[in-house]
Amino acid sequence: MKRIEEQTHYEILEVSPDADLKEIQRAYDHAKETFHADSPAIYSLFSEEEMRKIQAAIEEAYRVLMDEALRKSYHQSHSHLIERSSSEKQTEKSVKSSEIKSSLSFTDLSIEVGEMTYRGRSLKQIREKLGIDLKAISAKTKINIKTLELIEEEDLEHLPAMVYLKGFLKAYARALNLDAQKLIEGYFELFKEKGKK
Amino acid sequence: MTRDHHQRVIWTIGGGKGGSGKSFITTNIGICLSKLGARVILIDADLGGANLHTFLGILPPGPTLSDFIKKRVSHLKEALIHTGVPNLQLLTGAQDLLNAADAKSAQKRKLLRSIKSLESDYILVDLGGGNALSVLDFFLMSDGGILVATPEPTSIENTYRFLKSAFYRRLRQAVSSFSAKSLIDEAMDRKNEAGIRTPYELLREVRRINEEDGRKMVEEAATFHPNLILNQVRSKKDIEIGFSIRSACQKYFGIQLHYLGYIVYDQDVGNSIRKRRPLVLENYRSKAAQCVSEIASRLADSHRMPHGI
Ligand SMILES: Nc1ncnc2c1ncn2[C@@H]1O[C@H](COP(=O)(O)OP(=O)(O)OP(=O)(O)O)[C@@H](O)[C@H]1O
Ligand SMILES: [Mg+2]
Repeated sequence: MKRIEEQTHYEILEVSPDADLKEIQRAYDHAKETFHADSPAIYSLFSEEEMRKIQAAIEEAYRVLMDEALRKSYHQSHSHLIERSSSEKQTEKSVKSSEIKSSLSFTDLSIEVGEMTYRGRSLKQIREKLGIDLKAISAKTKINIKTLELIEEEDLEHLPAMVYLKGFLKAYARALNLDAQKLIEGYFELFKEKGKK
Repeated sequence: MTRDHHQRVIWTIGGGKGGSGKSFITTNIGICLSKLGARVILIDADLGGANLHTFLGILPPGPTLSDFIKKRVSHLKEALIHTGVPNLQLLTGAQDLLNAADAKSAQKRKLLRSIKSLESDYILVDLGGGNALSVLDFFLMSDGGILVATPEPTSIENTYRFLKSAFYRRLRQAVSSFSAKSLIDEAMDRKNEAGIRTPYELLREVRRINEEDGRKMVEEAATFHPNLILNQVRSKKDIEIGFSIRSACQKYFGIQLHYLGYIVYDQDVGNSIRKRRPLVLENYRSKAAQCVSEIASRLADSHRMPHGI
């Protein structure tokens, strides 16, 4: 039982102190999705002021934890808090992550946390934050670099039609451990916005 | 309390407003567990609308739990009704127990013990939609409390209301000073004079008057793990609401809610009820039945982990 102000960045995002960047990104997406004004899950619980406080805490946690240097110095200055909370919660966390996995892989409605879709640009951002270069993605997905670049640039003119593109998007999203469906949806929206096709 | 190797795990199903699917879920999870080879007893403790027998397609029951309380039957097991499903029995009339809001908690504990002494592996209690104190007590005393909500704001609001009542009741039972207890009572009222609006503000006030009780509150929050089933989901977005509810509970109450799973909205549910045939028997391949059976397997698994509500 800790007030928002007392929670560490890790607690705010509900990740363990050794979470990697992918996990933090997902946790952030989920937190954004949960704590916004229209979210049914917060209905009747929080006042507007409390929501602003939580949102600010989420942004701050994300900003710090996604930046290697900032995270390191935060970890040092808050080590007493971070270690205590992680040992308290260790068993709980391991249960939790298996719980999430099993929930995710059930029936054909496989899901991931967060509502937003990904597009080329957000994909690039995430990839860069993760410190993975396009070559590595290309090696993993067997998609040539040029195509990957077009995907990131959202260059619909030069990209193949959606039917063909889908497979590429899937492979790329998976290489980053992201929900492929969200990327595909994001691209569908793009096509719709740019008209035609 | 010691548990022999026949773990009689009691799950209570409650919270949420009427119609969220508590009785449907209780019945069908019970059948799934019985199909896994476990002995299961369903207890209908819905105050106003006991109807598990209808879900099972059997006639309104003869002997009930209240016959036992009133000593018309000498042994609780004589009040058990066979359901026609192997390994599955039904006990109704528990509403009389819950109705007695002034029943001493020692009395309730005693009844809980005699329920636990029944020959069974799992006992599932349908608490209905209310949040009378005795319903909350039953919820809190069981091995696992399950909240059933649907993705609609009205249902979620009701779930939170139930959760808050249960949580505060649990805190109230844990603290020892009279002043802390009365503060908690006061905090139950949304517009209380002390201006306590959140569990944290309550904690702050309790700490101010009794450090030790504040410590106990923190301890209680850390060990309170209610469960959630999200029913009648129609989209991926709906499913994710379950995860969001879990996060919201963590931020608001400081408790870890366990998201047990979701059940899709499925016409076959209504069809099976109209036929008075349980869905998992009538139409096992339906999507909703698959979801229910997944959750049942998870329940069967979970009591191997340290659980406690
Ligand atoms: N997954 C589902 N898909 C479609 N319909 C459903 C589903 N779950 C429940 N229902 C419908 O909702 C109705 C109410 O379900 P149920 O009686 O189990 O709710 P309840 O929570 O027990 O209500 P009460 O609080 O009044 O006892 C059922 O008649 C059924 O038709
Ligand atoms: Mg009911």
